[in-house]
Amino acid sequence: MTLLQRPLLVLLLLVTHHLLQCWIAFGSVDEEGQKQEEFNEELLLKPLPDRKVLAHFHFQSSAPPSTSNGRHHHLFPKAISQLVQKFRVKEMELSFTQGRWNYERWGGFDPIASSNAKPPGVELWAVFDVPQHQVDASWKNLTHALSGLFCASINFLESTSTYSAPEWSFPPSSGNLRYGTLPREAVCTENLTPWLKLLPCRDKAGLAVLLDRPSIYRGFYHSQRLHLTSTGSGSKGTDSGIILNQALTVVLQPIQPNGLRASMDHASEKHIQPSWSLSSIFGKQVRGRCVLAKSSKVYLQLDRGLVAELKRIHKENEKSVANGLTSENFWSYPSFELSANPDRIVIEENSLHSKSSSILYNFQVEKYSESEPLDLGLTWKIPVVWLCQSAPLHSSRFLMGSGNERGAIAISLKSTQLREGFMGAFADNERCELRVDVFQVVPWYVKVYFHSLQVFIDQQPKAVSDVIEKIHVSPSKDKVSPGMMEMVLKLPCRVKSAALTIEFDKGFLHIDEYPPDANQGFDIPSAIISFPNFHASMFFLEDGSVNKSPLLSKFQEKSPVMSYTEVLLVPLTTPDFSMPYNVITITCTVFALYFGSLLNVLRRRIAEEERFLKDKATKKTGQLPLLLSKLSAKLRGRPWEPPHSPPSTSFFISSKLVFKVILVAGLAVGWQYYFS
Amino acid sequence: MPEISEVPELDPKIMRKTKPGLKRLFLTHSVLFSFLLGFPFLWKSVEIYRSPLPFREIDSLSTHLRSNTLLFPLHFHAIFIGFDSDADRLRYSILSEISKLTSQNLKCFNNYSLSVTVDSGSRCLRAPITSPHSCPYQCGSITAIDFDPVDDVAVDERLGSVFGRKIKEYSVVVVKGENERAVVGKYRHAWMVVGGGMEVEMAAMKVAEVLVKVFVNGGREEGSIRTEFMPVGADGNIVLSFNLLNADPRDWVYDWDFQKIDETLLAPMIGALGPVANISVESQVLYHTPKASFSYWNQKLESHVFSTKDLPFFVNSNEWHLDTSIAAGGRSKILQFVVYVPSAKECPLLLQLPNGEISKTNGFISPMWGGVMVWNPQSCLKNSENKTTARHAIPLQDLENMFEVFIGQFRQLFGFRSVNVYAGGSGIWNLVPSERGFTEWELDVLSRQHTCFNLHSCATTLASLSRLVQSLPRMIIMDEIGKQVKYSLEAAKLAQSNASIGGYGFSTTSSRQARSLAEDAFFHPSIMSVSYYSFEHCFAVYSPFFLPVSMHVVLAALRELKRYKQEKAKYLAWKAKANASS
Repeated sequence: MTLLQRPLLVLLLLVTHHLLQCWIAFGSVDEEGQKQEEFNEELLLKPLPDRKVLAHFHFQSSAPPSTSNGRHHHLFPKAISQLVQKFRVKEMELSFTQGRWNYERWGGFDPIASSNAKPPGVELWAVFDVPQHQVDASWKNLTHALSGLFCASINFLESTSTYSAPEWSFPPSSGNLRYGTLPREAVCTENLTPWLKLLPCRDKAGLAVLLDRPSIYRGFYHSQRLHLTSTGSGSKGTDSGIILNQALTVVLQPIQPNGLRASMDHASEKHIQPSWSLSSIFGKQVRGRCVLAKSSKVYLQLDRGLVAELKRIHKENEKSVANGLTSENFWSYPSFELSANPDRIVIEENSLHSKSSSILYNFQVEKYSESEPLDLGLTWKIPVVWLCQSAPLHSSRFLMGSGNERGAIAISLKSTQLREGFMGAFADNERCELRVDVFQVVPWYVKVYFHSLQVFIDQQPKAVSDVIEKIHVSPSKDKVSPGMMEMVLKLPCRVKSAALTIEFDKGFLHIDEYPPDANQGFDIPSAIISFPNFHASMFFLEDGSVNKSPLLSKFQEKSPVMSYTEVLLVPLTTPDFSMPYNVITITCTVFALYFGSLLNVLRRRIAEEERFLKDKATKKTGQLPLLLSKLSAKLRGRPWEPPHSPPSTSFFISSKLVFKVILVAGLAVGWQYYFS
Repeated sequence: MPEISEVPELDPKIMRKTKPGLKRLFLTHSVLFSFLLGFPFLWKSVEIYRSPLPFREIDSLSTHLRSNTLLFPLHFHAIFIGFDSDADRLRYSILSEISKLTSQNLKCFNNYSLSVTVDSGSRCLRAPITSPHSCPYQCGSITAIDFDPVDDVAVDERLGSVFGRKIKEYSVVVVKGENERAVVGKYRHAWMVVGGGMEVEMAAMKVAEVLVKVFVNGGREEGSIRTEFMPVGADGNIVLSFNLLNADPRDWVYDWDFQKIDETLLAPMIGALGPVANISVESQVLYHTPKASFSYWNQKLESHVFSTKDLPFFVNSNEWHLDTSIAAGGRSKILQFVVYVPSAKECPLLLQLPNGEISKTNGFISPMWGGVMVWNPQSCLKNSENKTTARHAIPLQDLENMFEVFIGQFRQLFGFRSVNVYAGGSGIWNLVPSERGFTEWELDVLSRQHTCFNLHSCATTLASLSRLVQSLPRMIIMDEIGKQVKYSLEAAKLAQSNASIGGYGFSTTSSRQARSLAEDAFFHPSIMSVSYYSFEHCFAVYSPFFLPVSMHVVLAALRELKRYKQEKAKYLAWKAKANASS
């Protein structure tokens, strides 16, 4: 009985507490009521092995379940909430990307590479909470609304030939999923501004101040994402909360100050990583947090490879110098220097399949202000070389064949050396298998022959049924839907390389269907290669602060390692676009000639003409008419009758002819002269 | 050879013996005629689909609306209690006053009828004696004692119960009493307490004025906001978007509990305006939104002041991202209402009127856009001392005041007065406000005006559509457009017939429908297809064939005809000669 009473009492207390809060101090957000809308901002910086710096901005807005969602909002963007309510979106992700993520150098195994690296252009997928037959209509309306909201041509994803419905290979698999990409969409500030509008402080305060347009668009890779999940059942009666994650990932090249470079000697300059600071890569500093953010943090991440390398250097130093550094103060940066003191250091729990764990330095933006801005900088003291952890297999895709008729698509998977490290335990086992999921969409004008699928493992052809465990194909329909291929491959663990090839014919498009620059070629969207056995997640020691940080909790989420292949450019035969008019003109001319000559023939009076000719022949004979009559007689198949009387007035007629010729020539000369 | 010499000389140049043949003539002409016959078929084949539009009906609707003004029947009732004069004479004097006042009227005219009752306590005189509609007033049910000089609301309720709240009749009660007072209630009646010395004619003038200026025209001044500015979207929807703008959240952050305001203050008003428009309400709080105009420090007022000439620049369209609503449909009207919380460096921010006074509401409206109000926090002290920038709530009292101002602004956007006093030519009338924002008679005015506006707008839209369609003969017109036009005309007809029997709600709803259908037809996306299939295109495609061929055919036909005539003349000449010789 008491057991029953206590929760009731607590519930009552909670209810009254909320009521009181509503009546007396509504909107007092400082109290940790769970009914408030929240906003968090975080920035993660990470040095990359190829002398570049990754900056990953992460903004999270959340709206709790409420009846007024979509109507009344305090922090959460109203537009997004209305979008979710109107189109019944359960989950959605929209990304705008410029440049290609370099999986080999920038890593393919950590959460950023796996879930934030996106294919170039626009990628949109959405899961709807509507009956099956309404999903397409919702998708079409959603694309239009989004294209208006983000000033992009997302509305081109409306036509059924541009999107597909993956069944199980795309991670949030569900029946109501739609997936579409626009590889050629150019991404620029006009897409960033509406994205920033969704943040309560926009780029006026907080971490978003750093988003200086010239410096972020100068980068090597730029990807802005918007991911939203609507929690709760979402059916008509109940309300659903929304969590909106906005992430912006940029890879920038720090500019080396000249003075520093001069002081270095050449040998070490080659290997030493460039030193950078926020003001040198963005041209701006963090001047305090966005006052509306619940938390505002900056992280500096040193990834696993780098930490391992630093440890090795440190050990060597210890041996040689023996200056008595203990393992505790190892992290007092003997090899690099930070311009600000971190507030916390978060160390990743050593994961199963890696030798070392990464380190995150946490900086609280609350402590910094206008007068004392945070200008986080990293200065290297010694040269360090390391590699980022990449996905088990490195994937690339290319086209084979030549000509405008047919070709083949090949997806090649190459084992990365690093794989042995985390596969080590199983690698010896003969039956060890590596599962690879492939999801590929091809537009309808690339007519893929699925029977021609071939698999090569270590350059040896293999039977398809041995390697492919599961395959789902939806063939393309001309002008209606694209072809889609979902596959599950089981590869032996010791595989060095694997390749899939599939042949296709190039289709013909109607003249109206060609895009403006048809000669550039047509894009085949990126294929998605995922490794469900591997999870790109980082685990941190259970700690209050980790749970509170949306970025770190996002990192802890278990998600399979994913990578996107290149976008392919297929040249198709392009017609001469003025051809229809040319054809019309020439056909009509031929018809006109036919009609004209037919009428002439019908009207002809041969007997009369002959008589006439005879009469004429008695009067005149020149060399030319003679020849002509000869010729016509020959053509008619009659014996030629020579003219009866010899020429008498030939001189006069020929002079007339000469006069005519001179007149025409004069006209032509006059024409030329006048118009030149 | 005498016989031979008799035979006429046959010169092949001028005469012939045989009849000229018809074969070739027939052939070429048959080709020509078959070509000519083929033309209608070709024309038919390149014809584009045009759904037949009822052009005549559209024209008749617009001419009907232009010439015969829309008639709303209005019933006026004037009751004189404690007077002892001739009802008929009073009626005539009121009627003459009314006709004087309604001389300059607009598109929509009203057809009024007036009945006068004089209740002198003992006698009850009515004019006209047989009123066309049942008059609910029983003589003696109101006495002079009922008119409490202080409590207008109680009197209003009392009159409301006597006259009935649903009856569409405008009554004015004139009572003799000590404190002179003239009040317009929130239902459809007004009362006037006149002193003993006041003449009946004077009272009649006042009665006529209240009937025409208040009950019919809604008490609006001439030239304030033009009636054409109806802040209702073409599809009959209004979205009220309320925005709380924190100019600089680093100084302070204010938040509001909009949900409660929505439920308590706005919902009744939205319910009342139901027939006129579908209204939905949204709210958001925005940050970092400075105003675009300047204000200066006024030492005397100890506050920052901005003047009315700065108002066009106050709204900062770059920084105030008052989005259009995704939830709203395409042609809905969005009215933005903005509460501006100034930053610390401009804190008590006041609006100075042109006459040097400080605005009481501290706000302004922009017709067809919405309203802005500046709300200053209680103490303009920056809380930068304590670093925790907490979100404050705007006090409930302030919030209520704020929304009273907004309701006033909303009324102004609809063209009504925001103060509860009507100063007419013959005196001042107090207006009893309704808790719903709009009184019954105001809603009537709105419905009438709205019906009229909608019908005129529908007629002009349809007329321009028909002009467009007739001027572009190569335009494709989908069946859907034809249907929409048909339904729009039907709805317009229904609205007109409803208006003539006094069904305000129905006529407004169907007129709204008519307008939105007309707009849908006009803005139908398929109308754009005109540019892709022009006459020039057709000409370019067919001329390479028809130009050379028709030249051949016509020339051949002409030549044959000419030749035939020539030969026939030759033959005739020969015949004549032969006849003459024989």
